Amino acid sequence: MSNPALLLLQDLTGGTELVDWEWLGENFWEDILPALQGHIFLSSISVAIALIIALPVGILSARYRKAYPPVTFVTGILYSIPSLALFAILISIPGVAIGPSPVIIALVAYSLLILIRNTVAGLDSVPPETKDAARGMGLTDRQILFRVELPLALPIIVAGIRIATVTIIGIATIGAYINGGGLGTLIFDGIQRQFPTMIIAGAVLATAMAIVADLLLLALERYLRPWARVRRT
Amino acid sequence: MIEFRQVSKTYPGSDKPVVEDLSFEVLEGEICVLVGPSGCGKTTSMRMVNRLIEITEGEILIDGEPNTAMSGTQLRRKIGYAIQQIGLFPHRTIADNIGTVPNLLGWDRGRIKSRVDELLDTVGLSPDEYRNRYPAELSGGQQQRVGVARALAADPPIMLMDEPFGAVDPITREGLQDEFLRIQQDIKKTIVFVTHDIDEAIKMGDKIAILKQGGVLAQYDTPENILSEPDSEFVSSFVGGDRVLKRLSLTRVGEMDLEPANGGTDGLLRIDEGLTVKDALSELIGSGHSRAVVEKDGENGLLTFEAIEDLMGGASGEPSNGGESSA
Repeated sequence: MSNPALLLLQDLTGGTELVDWEWLGENFWEDILPALQGHIFLSSISVAIALIIALPVGILSARYRKAYPPVTFVTGILYSIPSLALFAILISIPGVAIGPSPVIIALVAYSLLILIRNTVAGLDSVPPETKDAARGMGLTDRQILFRVELPLALPIIVAGIRIATVTIIGIATIGAYINGGGLGTLIFDGIQRQFPTMIIAGAVLATAMAIVADLLLLALERYLRPWARVRRT
Repeated sequence: MIEFRQVSKTYPGSDKPVVEDLSFEVLEGEICVLVGPSGCGKTTSMRMVNRLIEITEGEILIDGEPNTAMSGTQLRRKIGYAIQQIGLFPHRTIADNIGTVPNLLGWDRGRIKSRVDELLDTVGLSPDEYRNRYPAELSGGQQQRVGVARALAADPPIMLMDEPFGAVDPITREGLQDEFLRIQQDIKKTIVFVTHDIDEAIKMGDKIAILKQGGVLAQYDTPENILSEPDSEFVSSFVGGDRVLKRLSLTRVGEMDLEPANGGTDGLLRIDEGLTVKDALSELIGSGHSRAVVEKDGENGLLTFEAIEDLMGGASGEPSNGGESSA
């Protein structure tokens, strides 16, 4: 039989086990859980920092349109650098120690393009007449931004956060290469020790985490848009 | 009262003004309709009242005070604003939408809530049914009602309305116009109303300002006078060849002085007193009769072609018993 799926099945049912359940049980508290926690930490802090940068930059780019092309140019370049190369570049910079910080810097750099683009797209999606009515009724620019534009842009911004988060959770595994921690540690160790259980544990958990994060954010997106759930007459 | 004093607007980088030397007054409690072809600066003129657009030259006085005496946002909170595209906030309920300006002005919750309910009643929407809905759940006509209610929310003495009934079908629009005129009889707001539709202008306006290309005032007068004595070729062509008939639409048959119909009225065409004279004339011609009976206050009046001619007085150059016109 040359079908790999069947081979895998044979492995699972047969003698050599692909997943060493015993090892998983023994090392859960010591290796697996810390790796998962590290991964959650890396991903969430990166998305948070990226948002703190991307929201104001996006709002300013939407308002001062001339700034938008250079902003997408720079963040576009950051987005297109291969992640392994970016990690290597970062740790070669004097003052950047090996560990989580260069990983976080890289993950933030990757999310900026998506987050800024969706912020601008979200703000662009606000109907001009809604803004005109708001202004005509005497809302200040700040009130228009916070009470009208951002709430209406939020679903599109959250959609951007979803894409960025899923991307980041994937890329963050590579961060273990420069001692960033996270689920990548299991994968790299597994490769070194030729121990598939660790590789599978890291991969499955990273995937599961991406799916869970995506669903949670999807729920948030729905929650933030009660007016779109209503029935039409 | 709103007073335009030699108001001009020229955009930077352009040497042609979009509004030029515009002067007129809108009296307390009157609807002044700005009407004209596209590019005549009517919307620009309206938006200069609440300073959504700043004036280049001249000034606009509101109750004798220049509208630059306070900040733009403060000014706008005191002036109702309703536009064709409505611009309801899709993420806010109907109650929140209507409560926008009272909320900005810091009214307490209870006062806002009762004001919202009162306004929903005024515009003919049941508060219990609509206050917690979102705009997307409402039909176009209902949304325009909410738009008007929102503009009225803080009871501003002045309202700006830019084709506020423009986004609905003609039948709904007529209904909304009639309803708004009925509301206006109670609230007596000073209103600047923009439209491109001369029929709407004639129907809604106490005064009409006809603007032509380049934002120049062509004529400013009552609908009656604009129809009977257009100042220029431009105005008479803008109001249309049927301006005599349009004048007939300003009066309802119930308002005419009719000869009492003595004797038998059996077999005669009966016309409702609420019909405009224009519609009544149309029915009369269509029926092939030369006279019809109008019942008013329990008495029968006789509507004839002669009665309609009398109503028109000396208009359209016909020699008649008129003479009340100044021309």
